[in-house]
Amino acid sequence: MNKKLILGLSTITAAAAVLAGCQSQGGSDKLVVAARGGSHVTAMEAVKEAFEKEHNVQVEIIGLEAADLKQKVSLDAKNKQGAYDLIMADDPWMPEFGEAGIFANLSELGVEADADFEESSLALGKHPYATGDLYALPFAGNVQLFFYNKQLFDSRNDEVPQSWEEVLRIAKEVHAEDGLAGYVIRGQQGNPIVSDFLPIFWAYGGQVFDDNWNAQVDSEAGRKALNTYIELLAAGANYETTDIVSSVSEGRAAMALGWPSWFISGETAKADYALIPSQASPNAEPVATGMIGNWMMGVAANSQQPELAAKFLSFITSSETQKKMVAHGGVPTRKSVYSDSELAAKYKHFPVQLDAMQNSVARPRTPKWSQVEEALGAELSAAIAGVKSAESALAAANQAIDQIMQ
Amino acid sequence: MYKSRRRFEWVMLAPVILLLIGLTLFPFVYTVNNSFTDYYYLAGDNKQYVGFGNYIKLLQDELFLQSVWNTTKFMLLAVSIETALGLGLAMLADSARRGVRLLRVSLLLPSLLPPVTVALIWQMMLSNHNGIVNHLLSWFGAGPFNFLMDVNLAFNAILYIDIWQWTPFAFLLLYAALQAVPRPQYEAAKVDGAGRWKLFVHITLPNIMPGLLMVVLLRTIDTFRLFDKVNLLTGGGPANSTATITQYIYRQGVYNLQIGYGAAASIVMVALVLAFSIFYIRRSMGGASRP
Repeated sequence: MNKKLILGLSTITAAAAVLAGCQSQGGSDKLVVAARGGSHVTAMEAVKEAFEKEHNVQVEIIGLEAADLKQKVSLDAKNKQGAYDLIMADDPWMPEFGEAGIFANLSELGVEADADFEESSLALGKHPYATGDLYALPFAGNVQLFFYNKQLFDSRNDEVPQSWEEVLRIAKEVHAEDGLAGYVIRGQQGNPIVSDFLPIFWAYGGQVFDDNWNAQVDSEAGRKALNTYIELLAAGANYETTDIVSSVSEGRAAMALGWPSWFISGETAKADYALIPSQASPNAEPVATGMIGNWMMGVAANSQQPELAAKFLSFITSSETQKKMVAHGGVPTRKSVYSDSELAAKYKHFPVQLDAMQNSVARPRTPKWSQVEEALGAELSAAIAGVKSAESALAAANQAIDQIMQ
Repeated sequence: MYKSRRRFEWVMLAPVILLLIGLTLFPFVYTVNNSFTDYYYLAGDNKQYVGFGNYIKLLQDELFLQSVWNTTKFMLLAVSIETALGLGLAMLADSARRGVRLLRVSLLLPSLLPPVTVALIWQMMLSNHNGIVNHLLSWFGAGPFNFLMDVNLAFNAILYIDIWQWTPFAFLLLYAALQAVPRPQYEAAKVDGAGRWKLFVHITLPNIMPGLLMVVLLRTIDTFRLFDKVNLLTGGGPANSTATITQYIYRQGVYNLQIGYGAAASIVMVALVLAFSIFYIRRSMGGASRP
């Protein structure tokens, strides 16, 4: 009895060990896509059937949380036979993935840069940025927008601000006169605060790096932008995403920056939107301020069926497929989709979003961006918390970034 | 006979020893080795040995030192409060005559929830915009407080959530220990005129000491690994006030793929956990040793 029990347990253990060691391998009848979970997966699932039928292949889409996706894709990159045939990547990861050779060269697979893709999006998929070979195509065209409560603006006869001076003035008035949050910052340490601050920094003429990759956050522009940011907080609040959306849409806050998907779902928007103010003051030179945050897709360099994967990439990023995916939460990256009269009539935010993409700014294209973002985020957080002055926080950030870039 | 028995023992132990080597010893040695290198996972060229470079860099990194301080402070506060509250609740349940089952089940609920769920529930409840906690406080004319974004409150908010979640665990272990205390000891002491305090100090405490040490040991190790709540609720901020060692290791070693540097931070963390728990481990191991 005991022998049988031991034998049974050993068999189960051995089977479990074997199964645990197994990973999904891209076979000849299956394409595996490592994707950012959520609406991207829903949109792809909704349209993939046509490709599956045409090529007699099953497309498996694995939706992962962003950090998990980056980790899994990176770990798999060292394997000779990759577990994934296609990979989605947040655009700031592109320089790191490009350097590491995670993506296959698309030109060698017969995929060419298509002029229909919005230029700023297409540039993100090239390595080196904008000038090099094509390694990934823009899959989802995210770009930051300025969100405001129109009812509140109308009741006060305020116009949509074009400069950050005007944003600050309105925020202060709303706060003082109506007792509401004039402006909501997204000040959580790390990526949130950096993404929220950079558009203001850019509007003041700031650049994170000079041409030689020396940090430039400790600058006149940096100080002015951070002081404006701190003043905006004083006239408003510091919330996380859910509260930003609810407070602006309910009229308890007047303005905030955000990604379109937070406020816009299908044909409806919870708040009004516009391009992010492009000037520091009404008389200042306008500059591009909308942070671009595209999700890219490329063929894994260690895919066992790169040609088929390239065909799927062409299919999923084609104009026709993008049009279909819009109804399922897809965010287009092609001009022809944004300018489609039927879609533009249905999705009112399309013209603004295309305009924002055409006037967008990419985060600095360095493989070390995630470390830079972390260092900058910690110092910005210290500044808004009052632990450090704006000047000392920026000086510390500058020093930390220079150290990272060495 | 003796030899064949020894051989049989080794054969039976072999799978466990192999598992230990594969899953514990090898990863540990590999991590120690990596901690002396500049290993970046995505780099094409081989890793280079940098001596104690990573350790020196760690000690010079303000964020790491802040993370160590935050984690140690968190561990000391959380373990002592959770153990004290758990003991109090266990004694209450032990002395209760009615409703013990209901009390036990309802007290255990928080520790049954996954950490991510706990973090998200509390994120909603502590919301500065429309969270229930601020609503309740407003009835008393207090608030609103930005619990997770205020540099003076964020650490305490995370601490409170941990206490809420893990006090039931301490309660469960201590309640079980209390149940095992021989009742005649109490009766004999009462006959001798011992009061409640003396009963607790001279009978309850010595009897539940192994359980108490186990609670302290397990909670010490667990609080040192604090990650989910911080990563989801504060991202280590504001101003690094909630940064922890595990979050630091995750950002460096896992997200940024700086395996060598992350390994050095991990070794420091293991050393700290051992330093804090060696007393309890020695006590518990000593108790279990053969005569």
